Amino acid sequence: MMKSLFLSFLLGSNLFVNNFSEVQGRKWKGEGTTPNLESITIGRCYDYIRVVNPAVGEKNCSELWEAFRNAFINKDPCNILPQHFELFFKLSLHAIPTDKSLFWENNQLLVNSFSSRARRYMALGDTLFGFFGDFLNWCGQENSTGLDYESCPTAAECENNAVDAFWRMASMTYAQHSSGVIHVLLNGSAEGGAYPVKGFFADYEIPHLQRDKISQIDIWVVDDIEGPNIDSCGHNTVQILEDRLKTLGYSVTCTDNYKPVMFLLCLDNPDHSKCTLSSSAPAAQRGPISSDRGGSWNKLMFVSFVGFLFRSVLVY
Amino acid sequence: MPSQRGSARRRQRCVLLAGIAILLIALVLAAVLASVLTGSKEEANPEPLRWQGRGTTRNLREIVLGRCYSYLAEGHAELRDKDCLKIWESLKAAFVHKNPCNATTEDYRPLMELTSHPVPCNESLFWSRTYDLVHLYSKCNHHFLTLEDTFLGYMLDGLSWCGDPSAPGINYESCPKWSECERSSGSVFWKMASKMFAEAACGVVHVMLNGSIEAGAFRTSSVFGSVEIFNLNPDKVSEIRIWLMNDIGGPQSDSCSGYSIKKLRNILEERNFKITCEDNYRPVQLLQCVHNPDHPDCNLCISSTEAP
Repeated sequence: MMKSLFLSFLLGSNLFVNNFSEVQGRKWKGEGTTPNLESITIGRCYDYIRVVNPAVGEKNCSELWEAFRNAFINKDPCNILPQHFELFFKLSLHAIPTDKSLFWENNQLLVNSFSSRARRYMALGDTLFGFFGDFLNWCGQENSTGLDYESCPTAAECENNAVDAFWRMASMTYAQHSSGVIHVLLNGSAEGGAYPVKGFFADYEIPHLQRDKISQIDIWVVDDIEGPNIDSCGHNTVQILEDRLKTLGYSVTCTDNYKPVMFLLCLDNPDHSKCTLSSSAPAAQRGPISSDRGGSWNKLMFVSFVGFLFRSVLVY
Repeated sequence: MPSQRGSARRRQRCVLLAGIAILLIALVLAAVLASVLTGSKEEANPEPLRWQGRGTTRNLREIVLGRCYSYLAEGHAELRDKDCLKIWESLKAAFVHKNPCNATTEDYRPLMELTSHPVPCNESLFWSRTYDLVHLYSKCNHHFLTLEDTFLGYMLDGLSWCGDPSAPGINYESCPKWSECERSSGSVFWKMASKMFAEAACGVVHVMLNGSIEAGAFRTSSVFGSVEIFNLNPDKVSEIRIWLMNDIGGPQSDSCSGYSIKKLRNILEERNFKITCEDNYRPVQLLQCVHNPDHPDCNLCISSTEAP
């Protein structure tokens, strides 16, 4: 009996330990920190200053990583604020060329393609600080200097999580250092409207634009090629945005289906009616040239033969 | 009296000779000392060889490792077992301390083996003189992969590296341009990677050529013309589709019916490939229009509306 009691105790405690460690491993509902985060971000930092945009000059990438990491490690992962990243943004800051700022909502991949990696425009993801963290995930743990690779809190679990804190600070910094003509690309097919009245652009970017440095704000509202036209200039949420900016004293223009962006969207739907080039007729005539050179001759012979047959039948 | 003067003169001559001898010895000693000193100085700080191209990218290690882990983080199942540190070590071993004009394929074989992965059929996209456009296209359309979108190409695209026989073994000042030596580190690497990329291609393959180049869209001296077309496998590749792109508003120096494409067709047909060619393939032309929206060739049939 003692033996069986002992065995049950062992089994019970084993189960308890397993469950406990499982709970310890997956504290949160979101994906954990991106593996090898330090190597990726330091690598991106050097990639940026040596290859992507050497004009920004010399930066100490290890120092940047330390400042980034210190913003959120050894703290409650549900209580990380934008200010915690202040040192990181101070160290990674660089000039944003005038007239090249591009703000956006609900169309990140499109914006990445459109900005051509800082050559046409410099969206947030094309700055050193944006490039550093784009598409990555991170969080720390209380009472530990380690990163949590198992799980991280989602926005629903913690409003003040490390990733959102970073992007809030990034948005504010980006807006503060933008100048000249500002561009805003909105998705006219987005559910809920092109301009989210609560979002990064509305809450963190507009309030930090520097009026005396900005000459004009150009809004572009572009629908998905096959998508519904939920919003457009002068309507719904776009009207709200236009009014807000004008009230703040900015000179504002708005364009529906801005052509250069339309071309990008047309890549996946080149035959759509919205994508027809008025000059495309001559190109279509040239058409594919097959290696089967005999092809066009064969066609001619066939047609002539059928024509001959037809005539013969008629005569008969 | 005369013998005393004679001996005085003899003494003077001796002193003079001794003085000259001492001076000569001193000079010789100085020369020897100088050469010994400069010789050891050279050994301590030898100058790297001088070339015409840009030197090794600084922080090459961090950049390569970062790109490696970044690519793996995208979640490609076929790359699960790749070891980024091992990959970096094999790249280093390929060129550090070596003369950058004497690179061999054997230098890069371990690196190639560590990074190879299959490319899905119908996705290989080759190119010649269309670097910007072809990569913009492959980034927008994920059904196509250029060499620079594969694991190895992604890690090393846009970077420069070369070794040097003297310490520290890496030349950060300059590297040989491809035209400077037949077997430069860079050209041996990229030709080998291109060869493997061509060998791995299957199904329908595409190539984007530049019809605004005066010398012709297809050149036998290019990597495409000298390496890739000869390593495509006619048993695996069902068709080769050429997209001949002219710059928007640029010269129409070449076209599908031009001489250089005829030459390309002859080479490929001899190897039993089926070839088609299209001038200004629409989707890619649309991409060109993103950057030239106001050109007459880029008029969309529906016009945009502007509201003040």
